[in-house]
Amino acid sequence: MSLSYIIESIISGLLLGGIYALLSVGFGLTWGTMKVLNISHAVFAVLGAFVSYWLFVKAGLDPLLSLPLLAALLFLVGAVLYRLVIRPVQKARDVIMASMVATFGVAIVVENLMSFIWRPDPRILKPPYAGSSIFIGEMAISQGPLIGFIMAITSIALLYLFLHHTYIGKGVQATWQNPTGAALVGINPGTVSLITFALSIASAGVAGVAMAMIYAFYPSVQSVWTMFVFLVTIVGGVGSVIGTGLAGLLIGFIIGLCAAFLPFVWVNVLLFALLLAILLFKPEGLFGT
Amino acid sequence: MLKPKHILFPLVMIMLFAFPVVRPPLFFLTLCFSVFMFVGLSESWNLLGGYTGYVSLGHIAFFSTGAYTTAVFMNRFGISPFITAILGGVFSAVLAALVGYPVLRLKGAYFTISSLLLAVVMQLIFMNWDFVGSSTGLWYKLLPVSIEVNRILFYEAMLIVATAITLVVRYVERSKFGAGLVAIREDEDVAKTMGINTPWLKMKAFILGAFLAGVVGGIYGYYMSYVHPEVTFSMNTSLLILLMSFFGGCRSWSGPLLGAVVLSLANQLIVTFIGAEISRILYGLLLVVVIIFMPDGVMQYAKGLFVREKR
Amino acid sequence: MLEGIKVTRRFGGLMALTNLDFTVEQGQIVGLIGPNGSGKTTLFNVITGFYPADSGKIIFKGKEITRCKPYEIARLGIARTFQIVRPLLGLSALDNVTTAVLYGREQIAGMAKGRERAAELLAYVRLDDKKDVPAQRLVAAERKRLELARALALKPEFLLLDEVFSGLNDTEIQDAIKLIFRIRDDLGVTIFLIEHVMKAVMGTCEKIFVIQYGVKLAEGKPEEVSRDPAVIEAYLGKKRTC
Repeated sequence: MSLSYIIESIISGLLLGGIYALLSVGFGLTWGTMKVLNISHAVFAVLGAFVSYWLFVKAGLDPLLSLPLLAALLFLVGAVLYRLVIRPVQKARDVIMASMVATFGVAIVVENLMSFIWRPDPRILKPPYAGSSIFIGEMAISQGPLIGFIMAITSIALLYLFLHHTYIGKGVQATWQNPTGAALVGINPGTVSLITFALSIASAGVAGVAMAMIYAFYPSVQSVWTMFVFLVTIVGGVGSVIGTGLAGLLIGFIIGLCAAFLPFVWVNVLLFALLLAILLFKPEGLFGT
Repeated sequence: MLKPKHILFPLVMIMLFAFPVVRPPLFFLTLCFSVFMFVGLSESWNLLGGYTGYVSLGHIAFFSTGAYTTAVFMNRFGISPFITAILGGVFSAVLAALVGYPVLRLKGAYFTISSLLLAVVMQLIFMNWDFVGSSTGLWYKLLPVSIEVNRILFYEAMLIVATAITLVVRYVERSKFGAGLVAIREDEDVAKTMGINTPWLKMKAFILGAFLAGVVGGIYGYYMSYVHPEVTFSMNTSLLILLMSFFGGCRSWSGPLLGAVVLSLANQLIVTFIGAEISRILYGLLLVVVIIFMPDGVMQYAKGLFVREKR
Repeated sequence: MLEGIKVTRRFGGLMALTNLDFTVEQGQIVGLIGPNGSGKTTLFNVITGFYPADSGKIIFKGKEITRCKPYEIARLGIARTFQIVRPLLGLSALDNVTTAVLYGREQIAGMAKGRERAAELLAYVRLDDKKDVPAQRLVAAERKRLELARALALKPEFLLLDEVFSGLNDTEIQDAIKLIFRIRDDLGVTIFLIEHVMKAVMGTCEKIFVIQYGVKLAEGKPEEVSRDPAVIEAYLGKKRTC
């Protein structure tokens, strides 16, 4: 086993980690700020992958070109879901539990709708550029993960800029820090929730496209992706965009390092054992405040 | 005084016990079997999930432990399935005792996620553990009687187990133990000020629930005569258990019973005649609707419709 | 009966309680007052084991309870109420108290007997006409009485009351004061109470502790404390001397 093999493995792990970070960032945002724990988050990533795949295969639209369209579409889906399910659930005595159970139902519905419409076979999103690799010395870095990673980091950066440097984004933050205060200065908490939730779903959709360039996807893969969402969010601490980003990279690093020495399934067992350990000993997350 | 329910209950039970005598087609026998199984699972889930509000998505881990215990002990050591079913319960209880201490310290969503992780990690391990058949699963050696007698034997066994579990849960609900569990759901800190040893009470409920689910799993595995990690650890089973309790109302033993009977019947029928995907879509929608419009379950909802509130 | 020696509790860098000494003798009614955020409720949480003290000792009936868990402390006979009352909202008033009776120190076994005793306690706080009403539908004054009944169900020897008078009108306060004397005199319960309503403190307590920023400012009889310049300053600001 050469050093370059290990480095290669770590690099592909880090690229993957960046994508996991985007997959999780919206989940952490709605949990941390709205107290809505959206178990159906990853299912919308799979939906994003399917829509992108469908546009690519049927209409010949490149996944990168269809990305803005896809984000807008999932934003809309998120907004509808918010009105139909999330807003009623927010009236419950225990919002976190109620939202968790309700979105568990949503996840099952969307997953099975997808298998019904598109059949449950695995597919992979392979635009021509995703297959080739860039060579640095002896190391090969596949372009698929690289493009996915760039998409992920750009989206996270955009989300961060939106939250910290735009008027609406600041309104979102203000509402979650002090709902009454924000309402007093004229921010409508309903609108803010809607935007937060819809953005979170849109970010999941984009992450789904990035995931689809690396892994085969099928409707029931959502439960596996959900596990990664939990993993990253809990390691990073709930509700922090930067924490989620760092956690994604850290997990990617661990995956890359372990994958160089262990069979892939045991890497997963190890990761989830790690997650259990963090839950038990540091439930506020490694990068939490 | 003799009330209608004093006649109705034994009557229904006798009919259920006598059902195999009429030689029903396998489909109906299996239909009833799965109803009993879900009654057992959702009642045992309710001990912790319903009374204390610690919503677990890991109940299938105990169910599967039971199923695998029976498979392994029967196949490798030739032990009678009725003993291995109890043994499966014991193993599940031991597993619950081991993970319970750390996991039950977590609250709300953190507890739920770790319970889910328990099931996922175990599934991953079982998928790759050759001793338990890894991803090919395990076939059971059947008892040396005809397959029909086998089915009937385990139909009756599951009926007895489901009835016993329901009675145990009903007894707990009306006891001091049950009152303590409910106090934990309502306000865990206040429960402590009442002198309730909350960690120990949660632990007892968790272990008892795990034991009961383990026994159910043992009998299930034998009836199906095959175990596979993807089947026994299926998230869909978790969904159904949760849905049944919430649907019927998880504050009382009668809720999960009602939910399990109605929904598992409906589930089997829809899966058989319309398709598994449609049935899951309907279930998912139902869960959402129940949570939004009837957070206390249909029983309470119906009561609210028909009984005027007392002043 | 209850003694604290140099009790200290921090939250991060913030000193919530610093080297606090206090004693409450058997049969007394003792008040704990201080401005908002002075650490009164924190002290109650430390005594009842919810926030263990970082250093110092708490001794109850000659036995150290500093490291005991909340339910152990309850079983030793220390009951409490919460500042913002916390009835078990989903249960009826009777069920609230019944659970407390069953787990209390009277060793009452069986639901029927538990309910009987709980009904007596509800009658004691004059809430018997509401016993089947869900706690959720009780008004504030009733919730306070329910909370008191629940605390008494433990059969405590020592009762910590966190602002039981706040939000009550004058007649309700008079009733509550009478009730507190009855609890002390009939049931022999020692009482330690946090209070904002000065009239109520002056009317009930034999001894008062005043704390500010987690430090003891004064202690003594109500009339002494109310004349103490440090206390006046803490409550009303510095007196201008010119």
